[in-house]
Amino acid sequence: MAPSPTDDSLPSTIDEAFTENNLQPFFVLQKGSSRKSDRKSSGTGRTKRRIDLSPASPKDSSSLEDEKENENMNLRMEAFEFVWSKIESTIKDVLRDINTNVFNEIQTWVHQSFNTIRSLGTPDFPEATQSFPVITDANSKRLFTGLVLTKNMEFVDDLLTFEELGKHLKYQGCHVANLSSLDFTAKNGVGGCLRSLLRQFLKSTLDPADISILASWYREENYNNPVVVIIDDIERCCGSVLSDFILMLSEWAIKIPVILIMGVATTLDAPRNMLPSNALRCLCPFEFTLGTPAERMDAIVEAVLVKPCSGFNIGHKVAVFMRNYFLSQDGTLTSFIRALKIACTQHFYMEPLSAILHDFVLEEDNSVLEIGQYGLSSEVMWRHVFDLPSCQRVRVNKQTSASLANAFSELKRLQNQWRAVVLCLYVTGKGEKVRLLDLFCETIDPISQNQRESDTYMKFEKDPVITPSRIKGGVLWEAVRLVRDLSTSQLGELLKIWDNLTVDVVEINDKVKELLSLLKVDDGKSSKKDLTVTPKRHASRIQLNIVKDSESLIDKAAKLIECMVRDYMCPIECIPFHEIFCFKDVDKLRLALIGDPRRRIQVDLLEFQKLLCCSCCTQGSSGLLPSMHDTSIMYKLAQEHGDLINLHDWYQSFKSIVVCPSNSKKKSRQSPLPKKRKGTKESENQSEASIQARFCRAVTELQITGLLRMPSKRRPDFAQRVAFGL
Amino acid sequence: MDMEGSPQVTRRTTRSCAVSSNDVESTKPSESYKPTLNDLAFGKQPFGLEDLLSRFPCRRTQILEFLRLLGPLNSPLFPVLVYGGPSTGKTSVTLQDSKHSYSSVKRCERPSDFVNYLREALENVISSLKGNSGKSNSKMSGRPDGTMMPEVGLIFISNISPDMYYLNIGYVEPIPLYFLNYTEDDLRHIFMVNQTNRKLYASFLDVVLRPFCRVTRRVDELAAALSSLFKKYCEPLSDKEVAPNEEMKRKLFSQIRPHISSALNETFQVRSQPLLGAEANKTKKTNSSKMSGILEDFDKIDFHMSTSAKYLLISAFLASRNPATLDASLFDSTGVSDSRKRKRKASEKSMDQKEMAEQELHMKGPGTFPLERLLAIFQCITSLAEDSLDEEESRELTTEGSSRGLMSDVLLQLSSLCNANFIIKGGSCPLEGSTRYRTAVSEDLALKVARSLKFPLSKYLYRR
Repeated sequence: MAPSPTDDSLPSTIDEAFTENNLQPFFVLQKGSSRKSDRKSSGTGRTKRRIDLSPASPKDSSSLEDEKENENMNLRMEAFEFVWSKIESTIKDVLRDINTNVFNEIQTWVHQSFNTIRSLGTPDFPEATQSFPVITDANSKRLFTGLVLTKNMEFVDDLLTFEELGKHLKYQGCHVANLSSLDFTAKNGVGGCLRSLLRQFLKSTLDPADISILASWYREENYNNPVVVIIDDIERCCGSVLSDFILMLSEWAIKIPVILIMGVATTLDAPRNMLPSNALRCLCPFEFTLGTPAERMDAIVEAVLVKPCSGFNIGHKVAVFMRNYFLSQDGTLTSFIRALKIACTQHFYMEPLSAILHDFVLEEDNSVLEIGQYGLSSEVMWRHVFDLPSCQRVRVNKQTSASLANAFSELKRLQNQWRAVVLCLYVTGKGEKVRLLDLFCETIDPISQNQRESDTYMKFEKDPVITPSRIKGGVLWEAVRLVRDLSTSQLGELLKIWDNLTVDVVEINDKVKELLSLLKVDDGKSSKKDLTVTPKRHASRIQLNIVKDSESLIDKAAKLIECMVRDYMCPIECIPFHEIFCFKDVDKLRLALIGDPRRRIQVDLLEFQKLLCCSCCTQGSSGLLPSMHDTSIMYKLAQEHGDLINLHDWYQSFKSIVVCPSNSKKKSRQSPLPKKRKGTKESENQSEASIQARFCRAVTELQITGLLRMPSKRRPDFAQRVAFGL
Repeated sequence: MDMEGSPQVTRRTTRSCAVSSNDVESTKPSESYKPTLNDLAFGKQPFGLEDLLSRFPCRRTQILEFLRLLGPLNSPLFPVLVYGGPSTGKTSVTLQDSKHSYSSVKRCERPSDFVNYLREALENVISSLKGNSGKSNSKMSGRPDGTMMPEVGLIFISNISPDMYYLNIGYVEPIPLYFLNYTEDDLRHIFMVNQTNRKLYASFLDVVLRPFCRVTRRVDELAAALSSLFKKYCEPLSDKEVAPNEEMKRKLFSQIRPHISSALNETFQVRSQPLLGAEANKTKKTNSSKMSGILEDFDKIDFHMSTSAKYLLISAFLASRNPATLDASLFDSTGVSDSRKRKRKASEKSMDQKEMAEQELHMKGPGTFPLERLLAIFQCITSLAEDSLDEEESRELTTEGSSRGLMSDVLLQLSSLCNANFIIKGGSCPLEGSTRYRTAVSEDLALKVARSLKFPLSKYLYRR
């Protein structure tokens, strides 16, 4: 997040929630006191909000207003916490559901491999706890290894997955230890991971890392259960340490039946490239696959954004931004969820009426909406509500709570319709790689929806045969087009799913039911026809008929979905009062999520007055003053150079600015060497030294911020600028 | 490790030594006999010489020699150095032999360990102890034996020849005992031990052993490879006890042949989970996807990567493969024709020189590059790609600042590519900025990634 003064004025609690996922770039410049800046800059959140809400409010009641506002803020905080916890738990559930199958698979495999190990024989106590090798079959030295393909190059998402897997297996009676790549560093060697194993199994921190301790523990503890060691992602492990670990475990394979589970982020080549062949030979690998990030993303989008979850929603631009960020930038669910959380926070922070969401979630009867209970005085609130741009578009005549309640229920109804259609489309396109995330982004686009309506009407008037799929590309129409490619039986199944999905929306459901009944009649016909034995000619003709029939049916289905898309899919941004539920400010989100620290640092160095707010250099003069921050001076000076900066020149110009310009400017220009100077030589020397020290510190700061590279051996008197432009 | 004969030697001592359990090379048990519980309880049932010899086929001379060196009980034992290639039965033979004549076998790594260990053991079992066999891979433990009492026998096991241990310090030179590598016939003998259906297995070995022997003669490696192959070999047979006739052998051979070559190349075969209910169609799926996958999912990467990471990977690949001098001509349209022409009109001598340089480059593998070069190429590529993208996908989802967006946290992507081992980072101070990178990506993967982006990689790749 950028250190702009606006963020400073966030209330502390929201700020805390905010900083949790928030990487702050370090400050080169110290911030001025926030109070001061708060008062001075007119663009802070607090004042802005006041302007938004009560532009004409009487000034004498400002203390009352403040109180009300505080109350309102508290309510919004509560609502935020409630909504976010709901979203978070939903996401967690979804992820767990996705993994259940794989987890069960892994668990069965663990127990089977354990039985295989056991069938090789159990050594008796002294043998099992001593380090001397048991002479056995070469095959018995192999370690059963589950390679879990996480299908994502970034592994942050799967930290939680492996933790859950550990819990799952523990619940099934296995001894489980989770190791991460941090345990496999070259620095700690095998001792490091052994120690971590001992810590997790024995719950004690013994100094000698010795595997025979583990063996005797296993003997004493419970040797009817497998020992599972989970390694998060092997790509990041140090290969030699990992292979040592594997070799050691394979030596003890009979004595401690260890089953390895390793997360592989890329391909199965990763272990092949990392481990030497003698370690690979010890592994008896099996492969498991987790859901792809795209699948998980779809599941999350479905549960959180499409299906009713919290009532909180995001606008089209925000959705597109988040989608692009996921696809082209980061590719992790973690950051997607973080973006969602930031959006949610911003929404509750900016929208005074967002406290309504709390009740909205609870599905309470909102026929009588007591606006007053949300903290703000009712008249301010009313004005705010009916000043919302979406409301003005529709122009509600009576500004009463009843009309508001009506509008809310209308919003709910339209959302339900939209949801049903989106899910129908998703189900249709599921097999053909139609991603819900894309679909979601397309279907909440208010502009294209308007176009869609006008377009289709026009086209249909002209030529009813032309389908919208020819008009436009995009996932939406792809899904619609897919309906036409279905066979009759597939269509039947699809219609049944549609029927289920549209139960809440009577208008659509009726049409689907109608089509279903048609299909059934048709089915009956065709099966009868199949039964009757007919000569070949007839058969072919009948076949033709059937084809025609089904064609017409499919035609009808396609028309139905087209009509659904046209009439029932109203994006949330087209509904009045959506601002209360929908976050639309994409710029805020971008700033908070990406931050762009390098750019920010450069801007801050150049425009430091805004941050420091000091009295000495606020005039906004472009000239360099000695009272400025050293690093800023240096950076501004560096702007005059190309990518190579002569250190001597740089230092001289720095000195000429720092040393009081009135008396020493001429001197330093004319006689840069100290030995030529006369008079108070000692103090001169001292100041020279201190200037040099300041120079060095500034250069180092620039180096640390990544804007400068120190002189190389080849060119010892030149520093190199690294980052250019903003 | 202590044997039954001296249980009073405490576990503590073994613990202190067991840190060394990662010296693996010489501790490979090598014989493929089936272990039973009785086998493991060595000390209890002393067995005869014949028994011993039958356990280790093709090691007759070595065993006899070893026993001769050990000599009768109560006689002093000169140090013995058992050496030979990996997996030739050194450890197993030694263990079994000394087991049947001596009471205690231990292992350790550092000389101090060894001395401490020995003293403790001597205190405990002073009456019964006849000899210890210290076992080590390192030169170090060769030292203390010069000062040891004559009753203590030392047996060193190593896979390095005795010349390496020659120190000339004055202690008694160990007597070398060489375990030579198994021949193909030896291996056949070894693998025939304990087979239930000997004829079938013999026919199997006829087919399989020769090609494998060319690759490796290590019993442990072979045992792993053969056991899975044998399962495949037996698959078509309903009755595993039947003795195969010629026709059947031929049939089985034709069936196993494709598997042999693949098994030869592959030490690391990943099986997918064959346990659950869906097993049948699942295995079918994996098989078919391996065959048809080449055609179908040709340009599909197996894992998710964000677009900017893909571009970064490609630019790293290019930076590693192309010489830096060509960058300008490849990415700057003005320089191309000029440099190409000059190359064609090269003299004989300079051609030779160039060839040499190319070979050298080839030997060196992918080159290193500084961060700046990577970023420059990245920027060229992405700006190019976005131009074409804009033409193709006119509107909709690429609305907001995707061009700037791609650049924003490249360094983050770079670090995650480093984490995934696609790019290797040369070690140096991160602040210095002189870190050099190198790609470890195979051309196949790079091409796949490029294809998924519709990026014409081959156009930018400098071919020698």
